[in-house]
Amino acid sequence: MSDEARILLADDHALVRRGVRLILDASPGLRVVAEASDGAEAVALTRASDIDLVIMDVAMPRMTGLQAAREITSHDAHPYILMLSMFDNEQYFFEALKAGASGYVLKSVVDHDLVTACRAAVRGESFLYPGVESALVRSYLERIARGEAIPTSVLTAREDEVVKLIAEGHSSKEIARALVISVKTVERHRANVLEKLGMRDRTELTRYAIRAGLVEP
Amino acid sequence: MGAITHLQLIADVFMDRPFAMYDCGDVKQSMNLPLYSKVCLINGAVFALGITVLVVSPATVSQQVTPRELAVLTCGLALIVVTNALLLHGVLAPLSRLIQRMDRFNIGAPGERLPERGDRVAASVAKSFNAVLTRLELERAEGNARALAAQENERRRIAQELHDEVGQSLTVVLLSTKRALDMRPDDIENELTLVRDSARASLDEVRRIVRGLRPGVLEELGLVTALGAIAQEFDMKSPVNVRHQLTARLPTLTANTELVIFRVAQEALTNASRHATAKTVDMRLLADPESVTLSITDDGRGMSTEGNGEGIRGMRERALAVGGELRIVPGTGGGTEVSLRIPVASQQ
Ligand SMILES: Nc1ncnc2c1ncn2[C@@H]1O[C@H](COP(=O)(O)OP(=O)(O)OP(=O)(O)O)[C@@H](O)[C@H]1O
Ligand SMILES: [Mg+2]
Repeated sequence: MSDEARILLADDHALVRRGVRLILDASPGLRVVAEASDGAEAVALTRASDIDLVIMDVAMPRMTGLQAAREITSHDAHPYILMLSMFDNEQYFFEALKAGASGYVLKSVVDHDLVTACRAAVRGESFLYPGVESALVRSYLERIARGEAIPTSVLTAREDEVVKLIAEGHSSKEIARALVISVKTVERHRANVLEKLGMRDRTELTRYAIRAGLVEP
Repeated sequence: MGAITHLQLIADVFMDRPFAMYDCGDVKQSMNLPLYSKVCLINGAVFALGITVLVVSPATVSQQVTPRELAVLTCGLALIVVTNALLLHGVLAPLSRLIQRMDRFNIGAPGERLPERGDRVAASVAKSFNAVLTRLELERAEGNARALAAQENERRRIAQELHDEVGQSLTVVLLSTKRALDMRPDDIENELTLVRDSARASLDEVRRIVRGLRPGVLEELGLVTALGAIAQEFDMKSPVNVRHQLTARLPTLTANTELVIFRVAQEALTNASRHATAKTVDMRLLADPESVTLSITDDGRGMSTEGNGEGIRGMRERALAVGGELRIVPGTGGGTEVSLRIPVASQQ
């Protein structure tokens, strides 16, 4: 199976690695081919073997996940990177994006988000965790309110409603209940909205975050 | 002892001049004799005067003392005692005034000192008192700095342990329950869902605690990002509007100083959102070649009295520990302004 994504797993906790590995290996199209227990080892392994995706803990000894990500993406033709973290600060998320990562998965929803995030990453898309998405949309709305940003494309009335609810921090399930539509439809609106706001693609997102002052360049 | 000084002494005694008025004038300087000599001189002068009067005057004392002579003697003695007492009082008054000042002295106010001028004895006592104060303040600042460092280390250790041990174990629980649920175990699915949900809730809780204990953003992403992060956090989780304006051009600060700035910002924001009933809070971080200044200004109801809670005390102690200065003043448009200024010179 040559179209399987080859994954390197880096986390200093062997049990976490084992848990993640079992889940990924059980998912079609994803296969863990190497493991590292710190940032430096992850960098070395990425160079030595053919890896499509690196999943890395943000906090690791010897070299943190962020440092390792910077190191890995400083080379051409580098693999995609997904950060795994306990912390939901937007600052970590944007720092991860700046370091070249495609996504950021919170450990408290790792069981739920990990496989989705891996699939998004190997497709070349970014993965936003729910909290950061609402923060982004909120800052976008604030910019519009201050007259700084002009909406790049007009949203439909439904999408407008969804945007407001996302900005207030509601989950897809809550939004679905509030608007009496299915969760699937909410997800579709959400994807469209992010696409229209230019937040689907990682470079766009980083550029936006820097413009909005969410990270320093 | 010349006639002038003598007269001056007497005049001083009667006019009860405060010792601070003895300035460095040439004539007055000459009476800055040691206390011991002054007392001896005064006593000697008074006795000499008494004896001179006795010798010069025609008065005699009979073998059998008459009541008149007794009366004269008693008056003379009383006169000598009173003169002596008045003169000595003049010499000792500066000292007792100094003692009163010391009693009233507010040890808590840093930088306050007794004046070291005037009467030589009083000045030298004041000088030693001030030296002791300086030493005390220094030691107190060092003690505070040590206590704060110990506290921060302990917090960091607990946070690390929680993150590395409890956090990771809970992550493993989450991952394993997912695996178990994926196997579709119909009869225990509810239990597993419960396990999963409470593991998730505990993980969120651990994250919250770790974040409160250890300013991870500060250590990993730097002061400016960390201040921005807490401003944003308060903006979101409290009804007040938090704006921030942070300079990116900071001089190099020690890790300790960064931590102090961060903790002061945290406490000032907490106070502004908890006590001020403010609409807007402004956080600013400015730097000039001499110093770095953090200011947090709210437009709330202002502080009625200089509060002496743990929070404000802690801010002051932290500021002192890195050679900075904390000021809490009424804001220009009502409300309160807390500012922390740290000289760059203290960063070497
Ligand atoms: N920004 C402010 N506006 C109005 N009042 C304030 C402000 N900051 C502090 N105060 C007053 O000063 C008092 C002391 O504040 P301090 O931070 O020392 O203690 P605290 O906030 O009550 O308790 P803690 O120990 O949890 O900080 C407060 O109780 C409050 O009445
Ligand atoms: Mg307080």
